[in-house]
Amino acid sequence: MSILAKTAYFWRSAASGLRHAPFVHFVAVTTIAIALFSAGLARGLGHLVDGLLGSLGGEVQVTVYLSPELDEESAVVLRQRMEAATGGTVTVVPPEAALERLATELGDLGEALAHLPENPLPPSLELEVPRERRTPGALKALAEELRALPGVTGVDYGEEAVARLSSISRALGYGGWVGFAVVMMATVAIVAATLQLAIYARREEIEIQKLVGATDRFVKVPFLIEGFLQGLLGAVVALVGLLAFERLVGPGLSSLFAFLVGRGGLVPLLEPKQALELLVTGGALGLGGSFIAVGRFLRV
Amino acid sequence: MIQMFHVYKAYPGDPPVLSDINLHVEKGEFVFLTGPSGAGKTTLLKLVFCAEKATKGQILVGGRNVARIRESAVPYLRRNIGVVFQDFKLLPHRTVEDNVAFALDVLGVPRAEARERVHRMLKLVGLQHKAGSLPLRLSGGEQQRVVIARALVNDPTILLADEPTGNLDPALTVEIMDLLMDVNVRGTTVMVATHDNTLLQRYQKRTVRLERGMLVSDEDGVKAARRLALG
Repeated sequence: MSILAKTAYFWRSAASGLRHAPFVHFVAVTTIAIALFSAGLARGLGHLVDGLLGSLGGEVQVTVYLSPELDEESAVVLRQRMEAATGGTVTVVPPEAALERLATELGDLGEALAHLPENPLPPSLELEVPRERRTPGALKALAEELRALPGVTGVDYGEEAVARLSSISRALGYGGWVGFAVVMMATVAIVAATLQLAIYARREEIEIQKLVGATDRFVKVPFLIEGFLQGLLGAVVALVGLLAFERLVGPGLSSLFAFLVGRGGLVPLLEPKQALELLVTGGALGLGGSFIAVGRFLRV
Repeated sequence: MIQMFHVYKAYPGDPPVLSDINLHVEKGEFVFLTGPSGAGKTTLLKLVFCAEKATKGQILVGGRNVARIRESAVPYLRRNIGVVFQDFKLLPHRTVEDNVAFALDVLGVPRAEARERVHRMLKLVGLQHKAGSLPLRLSGGEQQRVVIARALVNDPTILLADEPTGNLDPALTVEIMDLLMDVNVRGTTVMVATHDNTLLQRYQKRTVRLERGMLVSDEDGVKAARRLALG
């Protein structure tokens, strides 16, 4: 009964602390929300680019160009080696089939190919990359691996596009971490500063609490809860902002990248797991800030 | 209930505030602690409720040696001691009821029970009709009665009052002192620090006199009153 009553008191006291200095807490919650929104957005965009990379990886077909001197039997042997090495499916494309495909793709201009004295296209193998190797790093390694095979003259898999998206993803990843560090420090500093003010404003109350027999823990807990609530409220506001951003900007992004992602659309900017992470992070940072404030400024 | 053996209190660089104090207060006793300003009355009370630590000597409160008590045990000791100050120390933005209930929040008393005990205590001090008022809307005497209610609401065995009537006019002074006497009659040990001789004459209770940090006399009430009457 006593623990329940004390717990209820702690939450009442923390809520009353928020109510008694609304402006200070409003500014603190808003600042925390902006910081967490920025970090959440960077994280969400990173996630989105990763999704795009995944889509691109799925579309990429690795084309392995073979030496024209390679006979059909050797090409089949090479195909078997590639299938065994990569775990993917390999199709042999003879020069005639490649020329025919080119002619079809060129449309009316394709007729001109018929007047060529000889077929300039080399034989090639087309590899459908297994799912686990559809990442930029794995694709690059695979290309290196294939280039080293005897009879292979070249490998093409849309390297430039993948590399560009990959560097964007990396930049967002690093940016996200830097952003997170800034958010962490800012949130902790804001919570600590507002709680310092709260402790100062309630020094009389603390003095009386001590006189009537309050333990140190009893005095400190409401301030810790207050910091936790600040962080959590900041995270809730940031979450609402991210949801609004996704609703307003998401359809535009989807149509912008429709050529890459098809009808399935983009991966969502904010998934339930990330929303939960954001709330937990906000609460934990608020609690961290309040621990610092209570440790440094609350002399009981 | 309260025993002091050769107690000293000094701050670095200053002459001692209390020197060689020996004092025994029995359970249920009423004691006036008197003397001029700066005699050490407040410091002596602070030693009892552990707001200060003695430089030397032993102090037993309810059988516990508070000179050697651990810091973490102080709150539990204070729950048995009610304290009343001249400057009230009430929270201005909380109602009378909340101010009194403050002492019960610390103990984790459930709200319903706390409310019942607070109302009983407010009735005792004659302020049941002011439960919802803010302290600043009350007179000085009423504010002091709220403080007494807060000090008594968790049934302490000792009540310490430091100049409880220092800010009050004579009529309110009598009102508060009558209340403290009533509390004492109910079994609580009461120590009142005052420099108001009229109170000593009127109530004729054991009087301990301090001067320049030393205990200079310890008389029963009648004797002290007679001496004061003679000037």
